[in-house]
Amino acid sequence: MTARDLAIFARRNPTIVAGAAILAFMTVIAIFAPFIAGDPRHMNPVNRLLPPSAAFWFGTDGLGRDIFARCVYGARISLIVGISVASASVAIGLAIGLAAGYFRRLDNAIMRLMDGFMAIPAILLAIAMVSLNRATVAIVIVAIIIPEVPRVVRLVRSVVLSTREQPFIEAAISGGGRSLKIVLRHILPSTIPPLIVQATYVTASAILIEAGLSFLGAGVPPETPTWGNMIASSRLLLARAPWTIFFPGLCLALVVLAVNLLGDGLRDRLDPRLSRRM
Amino acid sequence: MTKIARRTVLKSSAAAVAAMAAPSLAMAQARPSAARTIRAVFHGDVPSYDPIWTTANMSAYHGGMVYDTLFGIDSKGDAKPQMVGRYDYDASSMTWTFELRPGLKWHDGTDVTTADVIPSIKRWAVRDGGGQHMMQRVKDIAAKDEKTFTISLKERYGLVLDVLAKTTTPVGFMMRKKEAETDPMQKIETVVGSGPFTLNLAETRPGTQYVYDRNPNYVPRNEAPSGISGGKVVKVDRVVFVNMPDSQTAVAALQAGEIDFYEIPQADFMPQLEADRNIKIQVLNEVGLVGQIRPNFLHPPFDNVKCRQALLYCVKQSDHMRATFGTSKYAKDTPSFFGMGTPMSNDANIGWYTGGQNFAKSKALLAEAGYKGEEVLLMQATNIPYMSNAAQLLAQEMRQGGFNVRVESMDWSNVVQRRANKAPPSQGGWNIFITSSGGTAIGHPILLAAHAATGDKAWFGWPSDEKHEQLRAQWAVGETLADRQRIAREIQENAWNFVPQVYYGQWIQPAAMRTNLQGLLSVAEIIPWWNVEKV
Amino acid sequence: MFAYIVRRILMTVPVMTLVAIIVFMLLHLSPGDPAAIMAGDNATIDQIAAIRAKLGFDQPLWKQFALWCFALIQGDLGNSLFWGDPVIVLIGQRAEPTISLALTTISFAVVVAVSLGVVAAANPGTWIDRSVMGFAVMGFSLPVFVVGYILIFVFAIDLRWLPVQGYTRISEGIGPWLHNLVLPSLALGMAYVALIARIARAAMLEVLSEDYIRTGKAKGVAARPLLLRHALKNAAVPIVTVIGIGVALLIGGVVITETVFNIPGVGRLVVDAISRRDYPIVQGVIMIFAGIYVLVNLLVDLSYTLFDPRIRY
Repeated sequence: MTARDLAIFARRNPTIVAGAAILAFMTVIAIFAPFIAGDPRHMNPVNRLLPPSAAFWFGTDGLGRDIFARCVYGARISLIVGISVASASVAIGLAIGLAAGYFRRLDNAIMRLMDGFMAIPAILLAIAMVSLNRATVAIVIVAIIIPEVPRVVRLVRSVVLSTREQPFIEAAISGGGRSLKIVLRHILPSTIPPLIVQATYVTASAILIEAGLSFLGAGVPPETPTWGNMIASSRLLLARAPWTIFFPGLCLALVVLAVNLLGDGLRDRLDPRLSRRM
Repeated sequence: MTKIARRTVLKSSAAAVAAMAAPSLAMAQARPSAARTIRAVFHGDVPSYDPIWTTANMSAYHGGMVYDTLFGIDSKGDAKPQMVGRYDYDASSMTWTFELRPGLKWHDGTDVTTADVIPSIKRWAVRDGGGQHMMQRVKDIAAKDEKTFTISLKERYGLVLDVLAKTTTPVGFMMRKKEAETDPMQKIETVVGSGPFTLNLAETRPGTQYVYDRNPNYVPRNEAPSGISGGKVVKVDRVVFVNMPDSQTAVAALQAGEIDFYEIPQADFMPQLEADRNIKIQVLNEVGLVGQIRPNFLHPPFDNVKCRQALLYCVKQSDHMRATFGTSKYAKDTPSFFGMGTPMSNDANIGWYTGGQNFAKSKALLAEAGYKGEEVLLMQATNIPYMSNAAQLLAQEMRQGGFNVRVESMDWSNVVQRRANKAPPSQGGWNIFITSSGGTAIGHPILLAAHAATGDKAWFGWPSDEKHEQLRAQWAVGETLADRQRIAREIQENAWNFVPQVYYGQWIQPAAMRTNLQGLLSVAEIIPWWNVEKV
Repeated sequence: MFAYIVRRILMTVPVMTLVAIIVFMLLHLSPGDPAAIMAGDNATIDQIAAIRAKLGFDQPLWKQFALWCFALIQGDLGNSLFWGDPVIVLIGQRAEPTISLALTTISFAVVVAVSLGVVAAANPGTWIDRSVMGFAVMGFSLPVFVVGYILIFVFAIDLRWLPVQGYTRISEGIGPWLHNLVLPSLALGMAYVALIARIARAAMLEVLSEDYIRTGKAKGVAARPLLLRHALKNAAVPIVTVIGIGVALLIGGVVITETVFNIPGVGRLVVDAISRRDYPIVQGVIMIFAGIYVLVNLLVDLSYTLFDPRIRY
């Protein structure tokens, strides 16, 4: 692809390019955090609540930690939470959804189980799981995956059901093809485009739920730098030291925005049908 | 579906909305005017109506409204009679005689008699550390008649009045015979006291607001109010305890005049509140709170005294105080084992403090102890900000001092449960946790459960030291203040050697209130709402 | 159709049973002991054990579950461990603020979002369309507590137009009631405006491209009544679906919004109850929220027949 092609692609798909560019930038920052910023956990109460300056670009928080360093390392946790929730819930949801959509006898049982999980408010389930157990990144991730899975299952199942009715699948089934082969070769591919779109929305929602859990005091441990944690632990300082909330808030909004833009753009390209329905 | 069906749906949903609003309409009744109602926000919710059963301060605040005490401490900390009128001590037979003052009535209209008071003392004494300490020396509590009763002792014991009058929780509140005879392990549900306020159950919403109305039948004493003693004259019609967990919201509500009083504005809000002409700041509890770090004596490394001593050199109290309270004038260091500003405060054996934070010394002590980097499990309560801050900072300090620390984050409820576990950290136990206690209690070798060093029977951390226990027993029978202060020096001298706990500072929580709120008395651990008025 | 309704209603039974099992297991298999919290700071291990026995927590798990289910079927959610009051009474006392907040939020969101969506769809590709869609993405990307604090800072602390916090009962007048609900509804409604506006726009665009609308236009039916009467009615199906999904999101948002604005609702009741391990309240509230979710989705499914006569079961 030449630079000219790239320019044409960008002009036709401005949302994909904008979203992907912001995300790529944040990912680079997350990966190379140790080269960019200092120790995000180092506390020095003498330096508490300093406004942004040459020494502390984004200022310091209530424990005298460097907000720039915490924002940079915070990108790691937010992206890890977002990506692992998205990939795990898509993988689990895809398997269950394929089974439900293809093996009609399992369908009813599986879908009632999914309904049961969907009926429990996600945030309450997550708060309960995290505060009843230990607050670790792993538990937060699991607590967010559980309510996301049923949504993926529903999507996959609906795609499988509509694909199943296509003549070539019916032919394959009546021709005595093996179930697994039919599912993998013929049905799976049609679920990929809507799933990619869905995965971006799950990523955005996971990042927001992690922030909400931290806000309610049921998130990852407070010394772990995450944007949600930073906002939660500084929220009393809104009037006194706005930078403690402004910078992590900006990072959070920017990444969620980027993911959503990417999702919208991919949806328009990959799944025009879904784009009309959603 | 037809149009008629749709209309039915609409109608029935309208009915549902009406039904939802109806109970509140029915309950609307004449309310006291805003000028005679105080709306106050405290540090938390009232977890139980039974202030004997729980040590929670919010329950004691509730108790201070509806219940009365036999004695009450005044502003100097001396015990003064409250429900008791006349009392006498016979040194030869070691018997105290108490006569209830006339005019005391329960909220249900019946008279307060010794038949209520004696079971009340007994039930409270089961739950209270001070009460248990007293009862070990009590031979008998007996009624002479409806108004007079005696407490006879097995041995000389100077703390009877102090224990009955204290404001540390559980406070010795008197209840009706019916409630007082409840199993001490079970909490009471019925709230009938003899105090200056009554609980208005019709308007109370557990978890949201607790409404207390002036008790028109309360007969106050004639003396001027002081501490929780003296005349409890109520000058408003109603006090509402509002539960508002978010302090940003509470401060904003106070500034907007939506509430009249906020108990715990955080230090970071102080400049903002001090600049507001409608707000004034008042220190209610001059001694404040002392932050405690409790090492677990049962397991390595803190079964070794050198490792506990190393902790003393790691912690820099001023950093801890600054982390949570900024450059506040309300926070300070406390080198004394009995907190600063208490009668027992002293400067025995505080070389570790005057020498300052010393990581090299800490590492040297660890080396002497043969510490080889075994993991230290620090329990961090994430939902209580000052505890969360202290834990994060302590972990950093301990790492710099040579410890290998693992911070385990959980909510306070989990800490409370897990700290009771005596197993090794790898099997659900722990090495170190953080809490705080009232300075008044810290300053008292007997009343604070955490001051016991009785090994298995001691408070969490299970410190064990025979000398400490001998000195505490001597202190309890000390005749004069000077005697007790001398023994307190010895206790501290010994304590900073065997290190049952380490402090990370002492802080005073000033309360903020509207300037038109006047007459609030400064008391440790209870907030009196008598004598207060809105002008 | 009757058979469909009956079948659809029966489907809720296994769902609610599953919810009951999940909730019970989640609470009872996790660490955290209500007895230890209730006993207080100075309690000994024996005292804690005595309280645990009194509460029945020393019983085998299956027995506790059976007892709870049995009571549940009779409509008894049990009593709060801390206050002793029946859970159903506590929830009843907290229901009005939560229902009020949910209703004002949904009405505000639907009115604003559908208008935005319709305006955007009527002017596709123009700057109006693009700014509506831009706003929709933004509204979806901001956490509700950040929006809440910004609103409080601007409208309550700085401009002093609206109260910072709290809730006034509807029995004390519609005015004061609404006064307290404006900011929380705005904060909570932001994400729904974004969500519903997108769907409304997409649904309208699809309907507008259909033949009978084009025919109508060609026949010279005036643009505005045409848009509203025909198109909106047909676009209602996807919009109602989203409102159904939105109820689950709304319940989550309510929990955070009630904390930010100190609204004494059910959301705060359950968050406080979780940190205190007041199991009966947590179980009761989750059962009721799940019940509402199931009920709303049942109504949404049934309402399809109302909005779109072409759907028949």
